[in-house]
Amino acid sequence: MLKKYMRIALVSLLLIVVLGALPAFAQDEPVTITWFVGIGTGGAPEQREMQEAVVQRFNESHDDIQIELIIVENNVAVETLGTLIATGEAPDIVGPAGFAGAWAFAGSWLPLDDLIEETGYDLSQFPESAVEIHRTSEGLLGLPLANFPAFLYYRPGLFDEAGLEYPPAHYGDPYILDGEEVEWDVYTLREVGMRLTVDANGFDATEEEFDPENIIQWGFANQWAGPMRQNYTLFGAASVYEDNGDGTYTAVFPENWREGVQWFYNGIWEDHFIPNAAQVGSDLLGAGNAFASGNLAMAQSHLWYTCCLPDSDWDAAALPSYNGQTTARIHADTFRIMNTTEYPREAFEVLTYLTGEASLDLLSVYGGMPARPDDQDAFIATLDEKYPQGVNWDVVIESLAFTDVPHHEEWLPNNNKANDRLDAFQSLLESTPGLDLDAEIATLVSDLQAIFDEYSAGQSDE
Amino acid sequence: MTTAQDTSASATDTAPIATNQKKHRPTSQLEKMQRRWGWIFISPWIIGFLGFTLIPMVASFIFSFLKFTINHPEDIRFIGLQNYQNLLTDPLVGVSLGVTFKFALLSLPLAIILPVALAALLNNKYLRGKRFFRTLFYMPYIVPIVSAVYVWSGVLNTETGWLNRFLELFGIQGPDWLNSVVWIYPALVIIGLWGLGNSYLITLASMQGVPTELYEAATVDGANMWQRFRKITLPMISPVIFYNLILAVIGLLRYFEIPFILKEGTGQPGNATMFYNIHFYKTAFVFLDMGYGSTLAWLLFIITMIFTVLLFYTARYWVYYASGDVF
Repeated sequence: MLKKYMRIALVSLLLIVVLGALPAFAQDEPVTITWFVGIGTGGAPEQREMQEAVVQRFNESHDDIQIELIIVENNVAVETLGTLIATGEAPDIVGPAGFAGAWAFAGSWLPLDDLIEETGYDLSQFPESAVEIHRTSEGLLGLPLANFPAFLYYRPGLFDEAGLEYPPAHYGDPYILDGEEVEWDVYTLREVGMRLTVDANGFDATEEEFDPENIIQWGFANQWAGPMRQNYTLFGAASVYEDNGDGTYTAVFPENWREGVQWFYNGIWEDHFIPNAAQVGSDLLGAGNAFASGNLAMAQSHLWYTCCLPDSDWDAAALPSYNGQTTARIHADTFRIMNTTEYPREAFEVLTYLTGEASLDLLSVYGGMPARPDDQDAFIATLDEKYPQGVNWDVVIESLAFTDVPHHEEWLPNNNKANDRLDAFQSLLESTPGLDLDAEIATLVSDLQAIFDEYSAGQSDE
Repeated sequence: MTTAQDTSASATDTAPIATNQKKHRPTSQLEKMQRRWGWIFISPWIIGFLGFTLIPMVASFIFSFLKFTINHPEDIRFIGLQNYQNLLTDPLVGVSLGVTFKFALLSLPLAIILPVALAALLNNKYLRGKRFFRTLFYMPYIVPIVSAVYVWSGVLNTETGWLNRFLELFGIQGPDWLNSVVWIYPALVIIGLWGLGNSYLITLASMQGVPTELYEAATVDGANMWQRFRKITLPMISPVIFYNLILAVIGLLRYFEIPFILKEGTGQPGNATMFYNIHFYKTAFVFLDMGYGSTLAWLLFIITMIFTVLLFYTARYWVYYASGDVF
């Protein structure tokens, strides 16, 4: 009996050794590059279909490299990717993903500078600003693929009803208020926003009879701008920390954002032209999709919001300036190579395929504006088909010249925890009247400092 | 004639011999085959238990002694009891436990009393349309939790919610249910009450199982309705009340879905929905700190264990088992 088991064990061992050694003999075995989709967009059925088609096309035309596609649901993507990394099964390429998704895995991306130099990849096909937003202190971490600039969505019908001029169609143009040219800045936006905010009796927010308890139409909102830093870029780009250069970081609250917080908070609780959290969640404002409800006159949002507008009664305009300076925040999705990849050259080849030859197909389902200016006209033509009212897309492209640097999703020490604290602050402002803003900001800075210190301590332990 | 006592004595006398015989008797082919098939049939459960319960538990216990963030596995290292020390300095542990217990104070009595009250009402012989009402009260239980939360967030909305509109009919200005640190708890309780269908149904079944002769005898003795309920119904259904209590306590300690969906796991307003499990989830799956997350999980396990043991201990004083069994 023992002999029988010994024999089985020996044969099994032999099989394992032979099968294990096979790949070494297989000279022509193609390299497999895994592409992980999930931490950004890419999970919708039509996106899956297109991604699979793009992969199939590549695989059919390449004998040396094969792409293996992994698509996971967005709500579990961070955990799944984290688990794959932890178990040594990290994919080679991840994306499409914006900065927020990428920073959740800060330090995991391969700088592309050497590969670009080695292969002679032509970066001049993109505007410099589109390339530079992907550059960090580690190097260039992605090739430009899709941009989602922010701009002002507005409803001409509501402006007509209020007898107001439309917001400027181009950056730098003035606004005509009561027949006079005024600067299109955050203070003008406040005035216009208040006139567009109407209660159930038809009074607007500038009138004494206005009843803030019965508002049925609001002037302005940051549409789907949950992350705190996204809300204050109207007041200029800024950072909430200073790098001391010795591995420690100091938490700060920029002065322009302090004013932004005051403007935003007053806009909700005193001027009433910005809806609060409960109002945004109400049926009057589409239970969260405020601008689409038709009861919001202006919204700052990104190009991706064209996904979710059911009607054609809207147009695009310039964002207002603050202290003579305009900032139009930007989201930019792309693919990144993980620094754990065993095949950086092959991964780079796949990356250039996804951001090059396959990019138009992919962008048609991702909904982003191509980073290559040559491809933008075709993209806008598809949007015109969807929204035939003649949207002012010029101002959307103009927004690309006013991007926020530092970016509102820039990496923070102890990134996820710091963002969580910032977002809690924003949520507090939107849901609580009567706050002492200076005290709340002081608490926020103190909490952020503790979060940054925790990160510094963790780094110095290693 | 052999008495029961005799039989029992003789069985006890022969038991050691039988055991010894079993020890030395060679296993037959049939027994071997049965044993093998037994293992094969229970293997799906064993694999599931190992893969999804035992191994993760052991792994999480080991993780609790490590610094381990899943997006930086290269930084993994042994840190002894540091994670357990962090429990003492992490302000959110106290906050989240406080939130959980505060909610429990409000929710637990209702989770126990209401099913009994509802069952008593629907068991009443004078009630017409019993089947209709029983179905009606059970129906919300089958609504998926995500849909239920979205429906309730609409109903409880300050501006357009039905509840505040209803209160307005009486000249009452309804509160901001979902954004007030005070009113969020009643709001959560109201949402939770929708899920009472199961416990009320079990209680009702238990009530229907109470022998009618007990009530008849009590009525003959002059007991009124309240006395019959207190002295007969309550003791007779106490095992079910105990069962509901255990489930409610465990449910409260793992309370997660409703506040998570309602507030997207932010803990807002002002940490009022930062339940212990939300804190645990964020630590492990948002901040990706598996080491400390595992430690939080073990603390929860210990707390749950303590409460469960305490409840089982107290059961002997108030739970009536007709069979005489006590846990």
